[in-house]
Amino acid sequence: MIQVEGLTKLYGEFVAVNELSFAVQPGEVMGLVGPNGAGKTTTLRCLAGIIPPTRGVIRICGNELARDPIAAKRQLAFFTDEPRLFEYLTVQQHLAFSARIYQVRDYELLADQLLTELELSDKKNALPGELSRGMKQKLAIACGLLHSPKVIYFDEPLTGLDPLGIRRMRDSIVKRARDGAAIIVSSHLLHLVQQICSHILILKNGRKIIDGTLDEIKRAFSEQPDDASLETVFFRATSETGGSPTPPPLPPP
Amino acid sequence: MISALLYLQYHSFRNRLFTRCKRLKQPKYLVGAIVGGLYFYFYFFRYVFFVPGRQRSLGTLGLSPEHLLLVESLGALALFVTVLMAWLIPHERAALTFSEAEVAFLFPAPISRRGLVHFKLVRSQVRILFTVLFLTLITNRGGNALMHAAGWWLILSTLSLHFLGSSFARTILLDRGITNWLRRTLILSLAVLLAGIVVVWAQRTMPEFNWSRLSDAGAAANPAERVFDTLSDYAQRVLTSGPALYVLYPFRLLVRPYLARDLPAFLIALGPALLLLLLHYAWVVYSNVAFEEASVEASQKLAVRIAAARAGNVQGAMKKQKGRRALFRLAPTGPPAVALLWKNLISAGQAFTGRLWLIIIVLGVCLYAGLGNSLHSAELFSGLTVLIGVVLGWSLLFGPQLFRQDLRQDLPLADVLKAYPLRGWQIVLGELLAPVAILTAAQWLLVIFGAGFLLHARGMKDGPLPLAIAFAAVILLPLLDLLLLLIPNAAVLLFPSWIQTGREGPRGIEVTGQRLILMLGQLLVFAVALLPAAIIFLVLFFVIKLALGLAVAVPLASVATAVVLGLEVGLGVMLLGRLFERFDLSVELSP
Repeated sequence: MIQVEGLTKLYGEFVAVNELSFAVQPGEVMGLVGPNGAGKTTTLRCLAGIIPPTRGVIRICGNELARDPIAAKRQLAFFTDEPRLFEYLTVQQHLAFSARIYQVRDYELLADQLLTELELSDKKNALPGELSRGMKQKLAIACGLLHSPKVIYFDEPLTGLDPLGIRRMRDSIVKRARDGAAIIVSSHLLHLVQQICSHILILKNGRKIIDGTLDEIKRAFSEQPDDASLETVFFRATSETGGSPTPPPLPPP
Repeated sequence: MISALLYLQYHSFRNRLFTRCKRLKQPKYLVGAIVGGLYFYFYFFRYVFFVPGRQRSLGTLGLSPEHLLLVESLGALALFVTVLMAWLIPHERAALTFSEAEVAFLFPAPISRRGLVHFKLVRSQVRILFTVLFLTLITNRGGNALMHAAGWWLILSTLSLHFLGSSFARTILLDRGITNWLRRTLILSLAVLLAGIVVVWAQRTMPEFNWSRLSDAGAAANPAERVFDTLSDYAQRVLTSGPALYVLYPFRLLVRPYLARDLPAFLIALGPALLLLLLHYAWVVYSNVAFEEASVEASQKLAVRIAAARAGNVQGAMKKQKGRRALFRLAPTGPPAVALLWKNLISAGQAFTGRLWLIIIVLGVCLYAGLGNSLHSAELFSGLTVLIGVVLGWSLLFGPQLFRQDLRQDLPLADVLKAYPLRGWQIVLGELLAPVAILTAAQWLLVIFGAGFLLHARGMKDGPLPLAIAFAAVILLPLLDLLLLLIPNAAVLLFPSWIQTGREGPRGIEVTGQRLILMLGQLLVFAVALLPAAIIFLVLFFVIKLALGLAVAVPLASVATAVVLGLEVGLGVMLLGRLFERFDLSVELSP
């Protein structure tokens, strides 16, 4: 569903993503984790066709993104950490606009279902400025799911959500995967990644440290796999020496 | 305490200045600064400070005492209207606008309410002094620069204090149960009464308006100047005698220092103007009005507006957000570019609803019917036709700069646009359509009215030429608009950091220089793009005119020109589309 081979992105001399290769199959949720500046967002933006990779091949549902961007983009949805909305369009107008862009016939019924599911039914005529951050995120999700994408990227999906919103978002991601979507979730929240992801890819300085199932990663970075949490594995994998299992202690108060 | 506030003000200013100087290391800002500096020197500074022998007072610039009185009266009238609006339009309680950081630091601090007012006044002086410098540079072509600067300072400072004082007074009135609408009704009634007195006086004592001068405007060497002269003569007589002279008296006092012909006249005018300023200061400082709560709310709104500007929604940044109805229903299938047109027309706002267009059409038809029955209809129609021609020309020149509901607005959301399953040309076309539609609708209305007026203007009755010209304008204007809009949109993609998009743009002399370079570049590109169409038009026009006459030559040559322009526009959209597809926003929009 998502195939990435040798993805490289340079900003001048700076290597943001370096020879990244992986694949995500239908029904899988891949967690993309790494410290700040590891290249997670750049990777997702390349995968969404927003920025061109310097090198490498990206295939979405068999369509090569560089050669047939339209066919590839029809299959995907990208949810950024900060919802990107048009400030002058109401909730309903956002959905009408998205339907036309993605040519979704009879979208009204689906839009109503999505708004009900996301508890936005009473906000149809509200502008983004009148919505809370969580509601904005829900609106972005409703717009992105309107065309039933087969490939979905989430960049920090839980930012700004309340506890109920977090649970719903988590359930929604799992449900989309069960329905057959291939999903990539980029997040710093390792417990979320641990809960919902079938696979994990750890990035550091644009390079892939490791990718595989949680168990495979635990085996690679922990002496006692049963006890190790993803957090422990993460610090081990991304530390400079590769040896310290825990973050540096906090200074005394 | 005030020293801490001054410290804050001084260091904020200093740090801003350092940031601007630091960015001159980048060539694009350095080149811009050089061009901007040269522009300011040659256009403003050398007239103000450096050219000996040019130190002339207003009196020697050809303004007779009567004209000076007219200028003074018009200035006073403008101030009167400004002050009137300050009492009529606002509805909020008094709020001193602070940034969120200032609210967070200053409001909980042990600073008195009067201290906060003084801080606000000191801060407003920085803005006023910059405006004074700018206005002095613009308006001082001869005369004493310092006198002009002092004149502008008095006007702007008094106005600023008046706005603040009126907001305090509004709050006091609201606290005493006088609603906004009651206040507005009373003030508007007073204004209408004063205007009525002036109109009745003018009708009873003034000689009749000289219509024949207006009717001859079309035949004059400079019709616009003739229309202006006729109207200004009449305005001078109305405003410089009778009740208007007295109604505008306090406002005249404020304008006089700026218009003073020499130093003694300035010093004489300075006293009353300074007294007015001091009275305003006392009014503001001694008004004990609770403004804190409204100020917190205002600062939050300000923060939202800044965030909207940074997110690319300039219009949202300008005013209160309101959901707007779409002009038409967007079907879920069909050309995707129409979705962008639909979206951008909503962005253009309520100013362009179907209801507004209907009102304009009804007003135009009423004007047409009303003037048709007038004794001076031919003269009035001549004048109006000239006016419409001028407005059409200006709409081509400034319309594309005014209506920016295209890539210039949406570039900050380029990542969203690039994620859509659309070809580059579809996005570019969709983005261009809204400003073209708005401009074309306005221009077509003007053309229709212009043709109607021209048909009834003196000497043009029963001729087919007005219809031929109208037809040519109708088919050529949208294509010219498209061509004109393609240029700034191409510039946005080619030099994104040089064009102000939806984000809050940088400021300074270097940015002025960048804009000048871009403006000249755009004019040059437009001239080159227009050349093939212009050649085709001229050749066909003269050939057909010789064979079939003027009324046939205009529409036929226009159709051929439209084909050439259409091809150019089509090619431009395709090229721009490819440019958009290759546009790497990770590089171009990085800070």
